[in-house]
Amino acid sequence: MSQDIATIRVTRYRPEKDSKPYFQEYKVPYRHDMVVLDALNYIKAEMDGSLTYRWSCRMGVCGSCGANIDGEPKLTCASFLHDFKGRTITVEPMANFPVVKDLVVDMEDFMDKLVKIKPWIIRDKETPPEQGEYKQSAQELERYSQFSSCINCMLCYAACPIYGLNEKFLGPAATALAYRYIEDSRDQGKDVRFPVVHEMEGVWECTLVGECSVVCPKGVDPMLAIQKTKILGATNAIKSILMPRGGR
Amino acid sequence: MGDNKRYPELRRRVSPGWWTASRHYAMYMVREWTSLFVALYSLIFIYGLSLWAMGSRADFLNFLKNPAIIGFSLVALVFTLYHAVTWFYLLGAIAPVKIGRSRTKPWQALILNLVLLVIVSYIAIWLLIFR
Repeated sequence: MSQDIATIRVTRYRPEKDSKPYFQEYKVPYRHDMVVLDALNYIKAEMDGSLTYRWSCRMGVCGSCGANIDGEPKLTCASFLHDFKGRTITVEPMANFPVVKDLVVDMEDFMDKLVKIKPWIIRDKETPPEQGEYKQSAQELERYSQFSSCINCMLCYAACPIYGLNEKFLGPAATALAYRYIEDSRDQGKDVRFPVVHEMEGVWECTLVGECSVVCPKGVDPMLAIQKTKILGATNAIKSILMPRGGR
Repeated sequence: MGDNKRYPELRRRVSPGWWTASRHYAMYMVREWTSLFVALYSLIFIYGLSLWAMGSRADFLNFLKNPAIIGFSLVALVFTLYHAVTWFYLLGAIAPVKIGRSRTKPWQALILNLVLLVIVSYIAIWLLIFR
């Protein structure tokens, strides 16, 4: 079987040596079934062991191999080399995050936001396991199920210019996950999450660019979650004004 | 491990021209800028209405017949339509209506809202001009 050659331009930034990032070009032989991550692995194994990047599962589940490929945030494991046939593929670290080294970004900020929205089921009072599980109907599951597919790959943050301009913005994935729990019939943590999603840099910062939902590799629609959260917040505010006990 | 020295991270700034990087970003920016034309046209129209309220309907219509106003109105019409179409579509994307087992698609909201826009516009034009 004949092999094609892909030309890959990768961002290099080694903070111990470089004051500025630069591009390094590699020529990688590839087969039809190879993805950009395979090319990076080939470079690291055969050409340049110093190239640094994150990866784990190779199958779009772990969410660690995100990068900006030709300017677009993508999972390197889900981007086939043959789709770029005939042109140079530019691989840069995900936009909007500080770069630690080469393609590795600092994800601390996202991790902090993730913790802030408390991505777990909150109960006023836990019932003992002997009393059985918290039951849920198929319709109740459907209300949030797409938002539970998030793999925390942060591509949506790399695609969001609002986050790029203001890193305090809670952002797409964290809000989608907050909404996932707010809409979960088993959850009782609305009062804990509402102040987080509705603070100044919460959902109201979003101006509906919509690119987060375009780049999501798992078909999650964070833009929808953010707008739904805005609607919930607005109706709650009106209820609290009209009804003395906060409309509960 | 040993050496725990932390090297400086590379912080990249978003350039003022970020929206030229992709077609989607550019279209978003155009959508946002069209609101400026919507606002300007509203101000002009409110001024025209004030002429009517304080003077006569003829004053109002003469003001609208000014070539500069007609020219701006045509430009504003194009931008307002773009504004309306993009927001009607988004309305369908963020607030789909559940009918039976399926949900409405954004383009359905777009068409429904455009039809409503035509009906409301027709009533407004009829009330103002032809009555």
